[in-house]
Amino acid sequence: MAETPATPTPEVPAPKPFVPFEPVLTRYIHDPDAHTIEHFLARGGYETARRHVGVTDPATLVATVKDSGLRGRGGAGFPTGMKWGFLAKGTGKPTYLAVNGDESEPGTHKDRHILEKDPHQLLEGVILTCWAIQSNHAFIYLRGEFILGYQRLEAAVKAAKEKGFIGKGIFGTGFDLKVTVVRGAGAYICGEETGMLSSIEGGRGYPKIKPPFPAVSGLFKCPTIVNNVETIANVTHIVKHGADWHKQWGTEKSPGYKIFCLSGAVKKPGVYEVPLGIRMIDFINEYGGGLVEGRTMKAVIPGGLSAPLLTPEMVEKCTLDYESLAGLGSMLGSGGITVLHDGVDMMSAIYNTMRFYHHESCGQCTPCREGTGWLEKLAHKHHAGHAAAGDADLLADVAKNMRGRTICVLADAAAMPMQSYLQHFRPEFDKRVGEAPRVAKVRTARDEITPAAKRDAAVHGAPSVEKVGMGDRT
Amino acid sequence: MSDVKQVNLTIDGRAVTVPADWTVIRAAHAHDIDVPHYCYHPDLSIAGNCRICMVNVKGMPRPVVGCATPVAEGMEVSTMAPDAVEARKGVMEFLLINHPLDCPECDQAGECKLQDYSVEHGRDHGRFTEEKVRKSKATMGPHVKYWGSRCIVCTRCVRFTDEISGTGELGVIYRGDRSEIATFPGRTLDNPLSMNTVDICPVGALVSSDFLYQSRVWNLHSNPSVCGDCAVGCNTRVDLDAKDQIKRIVPRRNDAVNKEWMCDAGRLSFGYAYTGRLHKPKVNGQDATWRAARAAALALLEGGDVVALVSAWNTVETMTTVKDLLATVAPAATVAGYGNPVVADQVFPGFTISGDKNPNAAGLRQVFGIADATASLAALAADTRAIGTLLVVHNVPGFALTPEFRAVLDRARNVVLFDFASGDLLRYGNVSVALPTLTGFEKAGTFINRDGIAQAFEPVMPPVTQGMPETEIMAGMMQDARTAGARHAGSLQTERA
Repeated sequence: MAETPATPTPEVPAPKPFVPFEPVLTRYIHDPDAHTIEHFLARGGYETARRHVGVTDPATLVATVKDSGLRGRGGAGFPTGMKWGFLAKGTGKPTYLAVNGDESEPGTHKDRHILEKDPHQLLEGVILTCWAIQSNHAFIYLRGEFILGYQRLEAAVKAAKEKGFIGKGIFGTGFDLKVTVVRGAGAYICGEETGMLSSIEGGRGYPKIKPPFPAVSGLFKCPTIVNNVETIANVTHIVKHGADWHKQWGTEKSPGYKIFCLSGAVKKPGVYEVPLGIRMIDFINEYGGGLVEGRTMKAVIPGGLSAPLLTPEMVEKCTLDYESLAGLGSMLGSGGITVLHDGVDMMSAIYNTMRFYHHESCGQCTPCREGTGWLEKLAHKHHAGHAAAGDADLLADVAKNMRGRTICVLADAAAMPMQSYLQHFRPEFDKRVGEAPRVAKVRTARDEITPAAKRDAAVHGAPSVEKVGMGDRT
Repeated sequence: MSDVKQVNLTIDGRAVTVPADWTVIRAAHAHDIDVPHYCYHPDLSIAGNCRICMVNVKGMPRPVVGCATPVAEGMEVSTMAPDAVEARKGVMEFLLINHPLDCPECDQAGECKLQDYSVEHGRDHGRFTEEKVRKSKATMGPHVKYWGSRCIVCTRCVRFTDEISGTGELGVIYRGDRSEIATFPGRTLDNPLSMNTVDICPVGALVSSDFLYQSRVWNLHSNPSVCGDCAVGCNTRVDLDAKDQIKRIVPRRNDAVNKEWMCDAGRLSFGYAYTGRLHKPKVNGQDATWRAARAAALALLEGGDVVALVSAWNTVETMTTVKDLLATVAPAATVAGYGNPVVADQVFPGFTISGDKNPNAAGLRQVFGIADATASLAALAADTRAIGTLLVVHNVPGFALTPEFRAVLDRARNVVLFDFASGDLLRYGNVSVALPTLTGFEKAGTFINRDGIAQAFEPVMPPVTQGMPETEIMAGMMQDARTAGARHAGSLQTERA
């Protein structure tokens, strides 16, 4: 099903020689029993782990992954092998692997398929990674809403344990490996690596100040490697086939392949695994079947909701790799591509986006805690048509004041889309100035989250402060 | 400090040398360079969440927070670089958008970091025209109330209960701009150190129930003092109103003694300065003039067979004067000490409240060689010999008469009492002469704390009663003793008439 573009445009560097690509990570997701250990063993599962654990020098595995150029698939795209190399050695403390499966970026649903449909593939990657970084305890943090994924992963861990692939002395070697599956409680911020670590530690999912980075002082203040589910799933294949095999696809700086989640106004939205470096427009047209009938493209959100959006002209120039998107001022991110058609009200889209970040800000740092709410309220004014002159400039200034001023990048994640909407769709903002009569009440996040307040609002037309049952709060 | 390497850096062009494990904000504060801060507190862990302490570090792409940035050799820090100034301005604006403008009725007004930094680092007008987020109010515990809307979620209070009191009652609930501080279900903020959270709250979110609406802080004036409630000897700042009434007591930083903490009991224990005071000298239950009372006391002391009881609440100066007085008028007297009973220390991870509820047991040891005040009183009580005159230098607020104490009082023919209160002792004992003294708020003195640190303090307010410091009364008595005729009965009568 894979076919790379034939004619490169002048703006795009010449692609590598064509190499046919078959999905690697998602190859078996259509088999109904691909999640069982029998299915996995029948296709040679755990053989790579058996061959290397206790045998191969861990440094060799780290070198292989480093050599493959694999970049983190969670969003930041940090080279995985290099991250492993930063691990603090000789601290006298245990080393942990924390696998990030808190896939919460809107538009992204790739890890979910691995977890639900091929969890053993992830576990084999976990085993190999733990051997490579010499960790005896791996935590897999799952988004709380992944019910099936959690059930399947727990079943997979149990099955692997019974086979002796996880537990004491795995594969008959002296290497112990404990795998703990942790479920989140529904916070976007716990997908941020240090927020996830706080959550695993049992605390509030507040991101931690970096440095120290997790590789030096992470989970329980021990050296910790944090990788995305897709990244870890890749490890098995790289170890099995070698770094050069991985590098035959993709670009020089973004080697390999990646799972993309295509959504929005396309005929065939879905999860597609493609080599990196293909043209975005070809991806949308060939995999997604082009835009829905009668619609033209207005914009594309390329890498999850927080990625600055691309105009159709930018999409023409864009290839699916880290450096091309960075060059266009956006990012590949988590690979969640959302196509917006010409009928989309951008004020509605940005309001919805801001509502999400306002709801999900953890509230730790001032600029994000207060700024996300302000952005939402201003975006709502534009959406409802009662913005005042100068509100768009204020939005730009608030977004600017949020960027780079916080512990984690959630503030940036909220500010970046706002800045890109303002950059590309400023006339739509200005059109809403004074369009509708000014209304008295503006919705607040509390109206959204508390049914009692919602009821109050329906009856009295005003938001109320909910009475909570903690102490004698009034 | 000795084994930590020193590094050289410049802050605002000033060359400073600090230990390598310090942060930029600590280095700046140590050299009197102001870096604004809310969440940073020198005795708590670093949270780095308020983002107001942004400084420019040469070579960094954007301003960094001073509280979480370690110093490095050759670092060039600028607190007034344009990008740092702008970053602080932005943070200041964010802090204020949902903050209520209720300064006129807020207890913190006048000592509020939001007000101060708003002037120094904020903008001159607000740009936020939306509806503010409203949060709940709560009673956190017996001494602390919470105004959610004023809270900037710096988590100083949460870290205090986690790290200093170790009681962990507080946490953050909700998310984003709905975040509030709350006690965990079933808990109240009732640890003996709870009111420190009020002190460290940089805004008016946590307020003291006891000080609430008592005074505007700009109407108060402050005097430094030392707490007498236990052997720790916390350094305090006593805030008084225009009528010199004590309104509150808050800790004063002294890293060798109490850091910046103090127990709730110590803060709230100023009531004895106002109630149940002994206002005038008394001789045989009747009000008397100072001269008459002094003469009567002197006569009794010179009568021989004197036992002196000196409490561990007295200052070193008083104890020394008692010693001098006895040497002058009753050289054969025996001296015993006493004090509030000693209970177990209350130990918290970051603070210990001493179980020795006397401020100057160490002074008793140094002046009179009484190692254990309680044992000293017990030994005296075990003796059955009659006492001619019992000199009691008391000054212990809230003292409960123990059986031992009663036994000693019962054996005394006459009692001469130095005390600021007209309490149980005055009522129980056959007190012949009572001389009103002053509380620690009204007199100067020195307490030696449990670590042997002598701490001198000055009066914070004028005397409430006609009392005088023991040192002055006794000095007068000694002078009287040396001046023949002064204690002639006739002069007493002349004066009475």
